[in-house]
Amino acid sequence: MSEKINNRDDRSALLPRAVGRVVDSLTLVSIGALTFFGLWASPADVVQGDAQRIMYLHVPAAWAAYVAFGITTLASLLWLWPRTRSAVWDRVAGASAEIGLIFTGLTLLLGSLWGRPVWGVWWAWDARLVSTAVLFFLYLGYLAIRAVPAEPIVRARRSAITAVIVFIDVPIVHFSVNWWRTLHQKATVFNPELNPEIHGVMALTLWIGVVAFTLLYVSLLNRRYQLAYLEEGLEETALDSAILQRSGGVK
Amino acid sequence: MKGRRAWVAIGICAVAVIAIIGLAVQLSGNVVYYRTVSEAVKIRSSQARFRLAGAVVPGTISETSTGVSFEVTDGKKTVTINHRGDPPQLFKPGAPVLCEGAWGAATASGVAAFNSDRIMIKHGEEYTPPKVKVTTTTSLPRG
Repeated sequence: MSEKINNRDDRSALLPRAVGRVVDSLTLVSIGALTFFGLWASPADVVQGDAQRIMYLHVPAAWAAYVAFGITTLASLLWLWPRTRSAVWDRVAGASAEIGLIFTGLTLLLGSLWGRPVWGVWWAWDARLVSTAVLFFLYLGYLAIRAVPAEPIVRARRSAITAVIVFIDVPIVHFSVNWWRTLHQKATVFNPELNPEIHGVMALTLWIGVVAFTLLYVSLLNRRYQLAYLEEGLEETALDSAILQRSGGVK
Repeated sequence: MKGRRAWVAIGICAVAVIAIIGLAVQLSGNVVYYRTVSEAVKIRSSQARFRLAGAVVPGTISETSTGVSFEVTDGKKTVTINHRGDPPQLFKPGAPVLCEGAWGAATASGVAAFNSDRIMIKHGEEYTPPKVKVTTTTSLPRG
């Protein structure tokens, strides 16, 4: 019964201050570049016209969601492995899942806005769209489990196991377009042949988008981690003062 | 005691994984979002609703009183579609389309047309700027 969270490397911040600032600045610069390339420098698609430009946000958002959920899973595994167990991984897992959920929601929303002019419908019950919606609700469930009051160690274990299970949907989402017939097109860049079917400036713009969203993810993760650390401190302070009040230490 | 709980947790995970994989395998046979023209003509006597995929045959599009009529092909078979309503923006000769609806009654010639009430454009995963020479003009839905 000597289970304790290992706090020996209990960091208050994920990235050193200077590194965090560099990431924040690069995020802003790359988003600026994406705006320029996405709206002006890249040409409109021959078939889809300007509607295709939504891809420069939709694909990077989906990519960032994959990365975020991947980090949540990795952090959860590191927490579950006794030798690497640390409260740091629990915070990373929770923070990353929140950001991943936002990116998944963004992917669904942008996809819907793209589908209306191109496919002719806002939504279709095909395997890609449904598995992505399932992904959104699975991680919403994960965050609900995190929100259930419990001892920190119990909560962390519960969350870590859940995170590992719900991640199964990520490969299902990615390969759904190859496994099943879908209205959604197949992967352009990360296709099984690893041969991107996109040209010059359009490909460059898409890559800028992927870099920008990855940086945005790191920047948000860093902030959210700090917030999680401060929240824990606040909970402890509140608990201490409540105990003190009960025992008559404070008027 | 601790060991047993760990085994229970691992057991639950294993069951969940098997259930999800089983569900995925089971679904893979049923999650058919559309049928190709060749597959669709095999069930011509059926009244069931489904989605039919094919490329619009150039030169067959004509406006009707309720919408538009055209032919679609998958390269092997060709069928006539009677669509109620307006086709979507990207609808044009050669466009890869999914038509949602059901087979109509057989006409005097003995061949039923497909009555559609919704057209979706199934575009491919290729993106091309206007100047690049396009080698394939129509991309048939694969599947």
